[in-house]
Amino acid sequence: MSIQFKSITELRAMLDDKLISPLELVQESHHLADKFKELNCFITMDEDLSKKKARTIDLGKENNSFLLGIPLAQKDLFCTQDLRTTCASKILSNFIPPYTATAVEKLEDSGSITIGKTNMDEFAMGSSNETSYFGNVHNPWKKGYVPGGSSGGSAAAVAAGIVPAATGTDTGGSIRQPAAHCGITGLKPTYGRISRWGMIAFASSLDQAGPLARTAEDCAVILSSMSGHDPKDTTSLNVEVPDFLSKLNYPIKGLKIGIIKEFDLSDLDKEVQTRFEESKKVYEKLGAEFVDVSLPNISASVPTYYSIAPAECSSNLSRFDGVRFGHRAENTDDLNDLYIKSRSEGFGDEVKRRILIGTYALSAGYYDAYYKKAQQVRRLIKNDFDLVFESVDILMTPTSPSTAFEFGSKGAQNPVELYLEDLFTISSNLAGLPAMSIPHGQVNSLPVGLQLIGNFLREDQLLNAAHIFQQNTDFHLAKPSMEDFK
Amino acid sequence: MDQETVSTICYLARLKIDQTKSEKIQNDLETIIELISGLQSIDTSNIKPLYSPLEMTALTHEDEEKSDNKKEKFLENAPASNDDYFLVPRVVE
Repeated sequence: MSIQFKSITELRAMLDDKLISPLELVQESHHLADKFKELNCFITMDEDLSKKKARTIDLGKENNSFLLGIPLAQKDLFCTQDLRTTCASKILSNFIPPYTATAVEKLEDSGSITIGKTNMDEFAMGSSNETSYFGNVHNPWKKGYVPGGSSGGSAAAVAAGIVPAATGTDTGGSIRQPAAHCGITGLKPTYGRISRWGMIAFASSLDQAGPLARTAEDCAVILSSMSGHDPKDTTSLNVEVPDFLSKLNYPIKGLKIGIIKEFDLSDLDKEVQTRFEESKKVYEKLGAEFVDVSLPNISASVPTYYSIAPAECSSNLSRFDGVRFGHRAENTDDLNDLYIKSRSEGFGDEVKRRILIGTYALSAGYYDAYYKKAQQVRRLIKNDFDLVFESVDILMTPTSPSTAFEFGSKGAQNPVELYLEDLFTISSNLAGLPAMSIPHGQVNSLPVGLQLIGNFLREDQLLNAAHIFQQNTDFHLAKPSMEDFK
Repeated sequence: MDQETVSTICYLARLKIDQTKSEKIQNDLETIIELISGLQSIDTSNIKPLYSPLEMTALTHEDEEKSDNKKEKFLENAPASNDDYFLVPRVVE
């Protein structure tokens, strides 16, 4: 029985009705991963252990977890004990973590089975999955087109129906933008909702883990499992985790949705604008009210982000020095030479670019002008959001200014061109707010995403708004033909 | 940004840029610096920097000894080690 394109909810029913066994389900996932190998969405598979785990699952017990026996894929920046974790970088290409990231551990404790580690932009730095040491990932909707990034492998694996859901991380849009480009649902939770322990750091004040799945309902299931306080991460919030699945299906009559005046959508592709207007109408029909709101500093989000994220990256990535783990260069003269050669051989161009920008922004004489200034502007951006959320429940924007694009067509000459891909997504990372992307149609046969931004810790409201949309539309049910990959 | 500044930053970051790529990197850095320089026009007087969206105080815990010593496991990942230490090129003559 084919399990391709099935959601977690559907697979749960199949398992409970004994239409398939956990072992068959895991085997089928591996079979699909192998069949669509050309997508290049996985870096490392975990075939033996995943089958072994599947064999031990007892579906007969009462009160079993919703995720029991469900195959999942993990972005390759979550440390997984005894399973290679590369961050899609040469510098970690031989790294076998001695421990598992809390977020993954929680998912596995819920009974889910990790089938493999997904490809991504190197150290999550990129918006097209073209910076991976292990090669580009194809968009399942069109060969030779990017899946988005940085969680491109996770998005492609879900969109191709290999797994019902996968983990991702989002520092400036890295869950939402690939979800949009691949026609699936992705959620970046509130900063602090999910532990970052064991998640290889890019920009510590912005990084947040979250799910990529076929539906908002499935995102709710995964979020409930991944969330919760972790004493090993000092930025992990000690707050109650709701059962997000039980928070769906509330009528949205009277829901106030803000449209951000400062985002001039008239610059976008006409079809992208049309999809946005049509989705507004769907929500209006369901009783939501639209309000124009102003976030006066939001246009400064991209430069603010590109000061802060590289600064934090340059500091975080200083740990990769060829001494304790990872790639070490050969034939070095002394310790300093070992650092320089190991790092220069181990990091790719985009990672180097960001380390250099960050080093510059943090260096003596420039710290106040770039880093401190950006953190001040960041407060202005957050203050704007705080004010706006006094009068609206959620905000709505397109997820990305465009659809997926051809390999090599953006950013090769000018990196800033690619940085603008994150125009709509970056601000919620700066303010630490939850945000998600849901599919809302296609432009030139490629999916486009609708972004919903919620107030602090109000994932329940976001997921409900997304779920109600999906109950009344069928955009999330669209599937790529996969003909290019047979 | 001149070539000398690029060289200084490269050294601070312990990175060496390929000669063939050096001009491209210099141009890229200039473009990015130009992008982030746009922030200078925003008035931020009396605005406190927001270093983390949570602005909470780090939690503390009791200083208890724990027994999960994974020394061997950690040393397994090292490019060079002996029984107890990571090995690096000689640093003292």
